[in-house]
Amino acid sequence: MPLPLKRPQKLSLLRRIPMPLMSVMIGLFCGLVVWALLDQVQPQALRSIFNEELETRLDQQARETLIRFDNYVLAHTSTARLLANHRQLANYLEPVYWFKGDTDGPKQYRSTPPWLPGSTLWQSLVRPSHILLLDNEGRIREIYQLGERPLPDELAGATELLLSEQRVQANLTTLGDRPYLLISETAEDATGTEMGFLMLVAPIDAQFLAASQQGVSPNGVLVGILEADEQRFLASSDQFRLPAQRLLSAAESDFLVTAQSFSEYEGSTLNLQFATLVPRSVVEAMRDRVAGLERRQRLVAAFTFVSVFTLIFFLLSERLNKILQRVSRFSQRALGSKQPVIERGNQLFVLEDWIHQFIQLVRDTREEMRQQHETEMHESEMLKQAIMETALDSIITIDRRGVIIEYNPTAEQTFGHSREEALGRVFAELIFNGESRLRFSLLLADVLSSRDRHPDEMRHELTAVKRDGAVFPVELAIKPIRLKNRLAFTIYMHDISNRRRIELEIRSLAKFASESPSPILRVNRRGVILYANGASDQLLSYWGCERAQTLPLYWRNRVTDILGSGEDWQTQVICATQVYSLLLTPVVDLGYVNIYGRDITAEREAERQAREHQQELIHVSRLSTMGEMATGLAHELNQPLSAIANYANGSVRRLQASDRGAEDILYALGQITAQADRAGEIIKRLRALVGKQTPVRRVADINEVVREVCSFVEFAARKAGVVIEQEFSLGTLPVRIDVVQIEQVLLNLIRNALDALLEIPEDERSLVIQTSCREGKWVLIRVLDSGAGIRDADMGRLFEPFYTTKESGMGMGLVISRTIIEDHNGTITAEQRAEGGTCFSILLPSNNRNSDE
Amino acid sequence: MNSTNATVFVVDDDSAMRNSLKWLIETVGMKVETFASAEEFIKSYYPGRAGCLLLDVRMPGMSGLELQEYFVRQNILIPVIIITGHGDVPMSVRAMKAGAVDFIEKPFNDELLLESIRNAMTLDQDQRSLQAERAEIAARLAQLTPREHEVMEMVTNGKANKEIASALGVSAKTVEAHRARVMEKMEATSLAGLVKMVIAANLYGDH
Repeated sequence: MPLPLKRPQKLSLLRRIPMPLMSVMIGLFCGLVVWALLDQVQPQALRSIFNEELETRLDQQARETLIRFDNYVLAHTSTARLLANHRQLANYLEPVYWFKGDTDGPKQYRSTPPWLPGSTLWQSLVRPSHILLLDNEGRIREIYQLGERPLPDELAGATELLLSEQRVQANLTTLGDRPYLLISETAEDATGTEMGFLMLVAPIDAQFLAASQQGVSPNGVLVGILEADEQRFLASSDQFRLPAQRLLSAAESDFLVTAQSFSEYEGSTLNLQFATLVPRSVVEAMRDRVAGLERRQRLVAAFTFVSVFTLIFFLLSERLNKILQRVSRFSQRALGSKQPVIERGNQLFVLEDWIHQFIQLVRDTREEMRQQHETEMHESEMLKQAIMETALDSIITIDRRGVIIEYNPTAEQTFGHSREEALGRVFAELIFNGESRLRFSLLLADVLSSRDRHPDEMRHELTAVKRDGAVFPVELAIKPIRLKNRLAFTIYMHDISNRRRIELEIRSLAKFASESPSPILRVNRRGVILYANGASDQLLSYWGCERAQTLPLYWRNRVTDILGSGEDWQTQVICATQVYSLLLTPVVDLGYVNIYGRDITAEREAERQAREHQQELIHVSRLSTMGEMATGLAHELNQPLSAIANYANGSVRRLQASDRGAEDILYALGQITAQADRAGEIIKRLRALVGKQTPVRRVADINEVVREVCSFVEFAARKAGVVIEQEFSLGTLPVRIDVVQIEQVLLNLIRNALDALLEIPEDERSLVIQTSCREGKWVLIRVLDSGAGIRDADMGRLFEPFYTTKESGMGMGLVISRTIIEDHNGTITAEQRAEGGTCFSILLPSNNRNSDE
Repeated sequence: MNSTNATVFVVDDDSAMRNSLKWLIETVGMKVETFASAEEFIKSYYPGRAGCLLLDVRMPGMSGLELQEYFVRQNILIPVIIITGHGDVPMSVRAMKAGAVDFIEKPFNDELLLESIRNAMTLDQDQRSLQAERAEIAARLAQLTPREHEVMEMVTNGKANKEIASALGVSAKTVEAHRARVMEKMEATSLAGLVKMVIAANLYGDH
C-alpha cells in the first residue's frame, strides 16, 4: 500500500531548507538573541558591581589621603617638639628674661634666629610660615618669618587666642578665612625653667596639601579642606583645578568628593572636613574600559555558542540522512511505496512525516482488522444468542467437569433457576436427583465413547427437578463440543410432562363417555344414534330403539331444529322409575347432536323432602317461638289471675267484716270479671298459636293480623321498654293468606327487632309497624326498628339457613319467613335505614281485585 | 303494733295488680300506698317512714331486686316482701340474700300475704325501736370525757377497780369516782345494764 504523502502547506518553506543550513540559521539567530539578551542584562549588572567597587576604592583612597595628611601634620608636631626641646633654644633662653611690663614689639627675624638649629635639620620636613616664641602670658616675644606671608592679624593681636591655643599640641583653625595649622610646645631654658612656648604656624594652602600628599596624586586626585557648615572649600592641593572658596556643589560636577572629619585635632571649634576629590573623567575612563572588556567577552561567547550548535546540528543531520536512507529502503521494500522517502528538504520533517504516515497506516490496518473480527464475532454471537433465546428447548452447555457454562432463557423458565444462579453449578446436581443423576453420568460417558450416532438414538427421557422441588419428565439430547483445548457438552432438554399429560388425557378422555354414570349419546342429523354409553340403556328403552337405530319422530324433529338454530335445548323425561334431564347440544359443523342426560330422580326426591322438612321446620320454629313466649304468657296470665284472687279475697273479707257498702263489692266483682276475661283472652291467643294446622287460606285484613301479633308481643315489648307504634292504612287491606303463617312471619320480624333494640340505650329504642297499599295490587307491611342495623357483610346472607348473628338463634326464622311469604306469591326484603336501624318490607298480593270481581 | 303510722307500700307496674292488692290489704285496716315503678317510689319515700314494702320483681326500668340493692346501699332499713309471677329459685335466693323478709309467689293466698305483711310490720317496729335505743345510748356516750370512756371500756371488759387504777396510773379512788360518773351519765342502774348498753350500741364493733 503506497504511503499517502500529504503535507501541511504552511511549513513548506521550512521543509525545503536542508538541515545544516537551517542549523546555521538557527544558531545565528540564537546567538543574536543571546547577545541581545546579554547586552540588556550584563551592563546593568556590571554597572552596579563597578559602582560598588568604585565606592570602595574611593573610600580607600580617601582614607589613604587622610592618613598621609595626618602623617604630614604629625611631622609638624614632631618638628615643633624637636625645636622646642633643642639645646640651642634652651641655651638661648637661659639668660633671657621677659619682663611682663615690656611694651616693645616682638623681635623679628628674617633669617634663622639664634634659638633655632640650622635650617637643614628640619626645613626639608616642614615649611611653616612662621615660628613664634611666646612667654607664659601668651605674648609673642620673637617671630621668625619664613617666606613672605605676613603673620595673620589674629595671631599678632589676639593673645587670648594664643593663650587658649597654647596648651594644644596641634590645632587646625582658620585665621582670616584661611586654614592654619598651629602647633605649640613648651619651651624651657637650660636650667629647666619654663619660659613659654614655641609655636609653629603653617598655613594650609595648596602647597601644604600637595606636600602632605608627598606628590602622590594618582589620576589627578585632589585633596582639600572643606568647611562643612558652609559647604565650601577653604583650600585644595591644586589651586587651579579647585580654587579656594568654591562651593561643594560646584565642585561635585567635576569631582567625586569624599569628605572625612578631623577627629584627632581637638579643640577646634570649626567644623572642618578633609575632602578627597577624584576627577570624574578618571572614573568615566575606567568605566569605559570595563564595558569594552565585557563586550569583547560577550562576542566570544556568542561566537562559540553558534559554532558548537551548528556543528552538533550538522552531525545530527548527517546521521538523519543515513536513517532516512534506510527508512526509504524499508518503505520501498516492505511497504511497497513507490516514492522514495528522501526528498529535498528538512530531513527531520521528512522523517516525522514518514513516521506519521507509518503510524497512521498501522493504525488503519489494525482498526480494519479489528472491525472485521468484531463483525464476525458479533454476527456469530447474535446468531447463537438468537438460537439460545428463542429455542423452545432448554439449552445448557456444560464443561468437562459438568459445570454449567451457558444457560438459556427457556431453561430458566423450565427449571426455575435464573441464569446467574445456574452458571457455575454442577449440572447433574442442579437438575437431577437420585437415579436420574446416575443415568445422566452414564449417558455422558456413552456419548464420549461413541462418536457417530443417529440423533434419535441420542434422545433419552429422564426425570428432572425444578427449583421448587417439583419433579417432571424431560427429554434430553447431549451434543459434545470439542473445542481446541477443552471439551464441552451442549445439552438440549425438553419438558415432556405436558406431552405425557396430554397422552394420558387423550387416553382417559376416550374412556370418559363410557365411564360416565349419566347417559351420553350422539346422534346425526337424521336422528341415527351413533353412540350411546352404558348408562343410556334406560333412555334407549324409553325411546324404544337400539344403538345405530333412529330416534322416534318427535325427537328427530327436535334434532333437526337444534341443528338449524344452533342453540342448546333442555328437557326432562320420566321413564319408568327415573326422571332424566336431557341437554341436547348441536355440533353444527359436524352435523351431530350430543345428548347429555342426567338422572334427577334423587334430586327431585330430595326437593320434595326438603319442602316437607321445611313445613316441619315452620312448625318447629313456631313451637319454639311459642315455648319462649309461654314464659311471658304465664306471667301475663298470672297478673289477671292474681288480681282476681286479690279482689275476690278482699271482697270476702269485706263481706265478712260487713263494714263496707255493696258499692265496693260491686266494683271488685266487676274487676274480677274483667280480669277473668283478660286471662281467658290470653289463653285463647295461646291456643290459636299452638298446634299444627294445615294451611288454610282465607281473606283477612292485614291490619287486624298485625294488631293481633302486636298484642302477642306486648309483654316482650314492654319488657324491652319499647312501645310498638302502629301506623296502619286507613282502609282495610284485604289479603288472601294463611293467617297463622303470616302471623308467624310478623312475630319473627318483631322479635328480631326487639332483640336488636335491646342492644341500644332504652331512650333510643323505637319500633314502628306500617301497613299500606301499593299500586292497588300489593299490600306492603314494613317493620322498622332503630337498632344497630345489619352489617353489610351479613345483609347478603340474611336469608340463608342457619345463618344467625344471635347467640341463641337457630338461624331459621328468616328462612321460614321467606318461604312462607314466597308461598303467598309475595316478597320479603331487608334494607338498612338511612337514619340507622333496619327495615323489613313484606309485599303481599292484594285481594282487592278478587273482592271487586 | 303502731298501725296508724305504718304504711304498706305496693310497687307493681301492673295497675290491676296494684289496685287489687290495695283492695285486699285495706280490708285489714292498714294504710296502703301504690306506685307504678321503683323510681316513683324512691321519689316519694323518705327513710324515716314506718312500714313495709311489697315489691314486684319484674318491672320495666328499675327492677325489684335493683330497688332492694339501692336500699342496702343507702342503708335504708325497710322490710321488703318480694312478689314474683314465677318463683324462679335463683331470683328468690338473690332477693332473700339482699335482705328480703319474705318471698311470695303469684297467685297467692291472702292469709299468707297478710301474715307476711304483719310480720314485716313487727320487724320494722323492732328495728325502729332498736335504732332509737342505739341513738339514745350514743347520745349518752357522747357526754363521757375521754378518761371516763377509757374507764368504762375497762369496766365493761370485766377489769377490777384496782387493775384499772394501776393501768391508768391513778388511785383507786379516782377510778371509783370516774366509774360513778359513768354510771350516772349512762343512766345505768347496774354494771350489767351498762354492759348491755355498750353491746347494744355495738360500741366495740364500731371500733
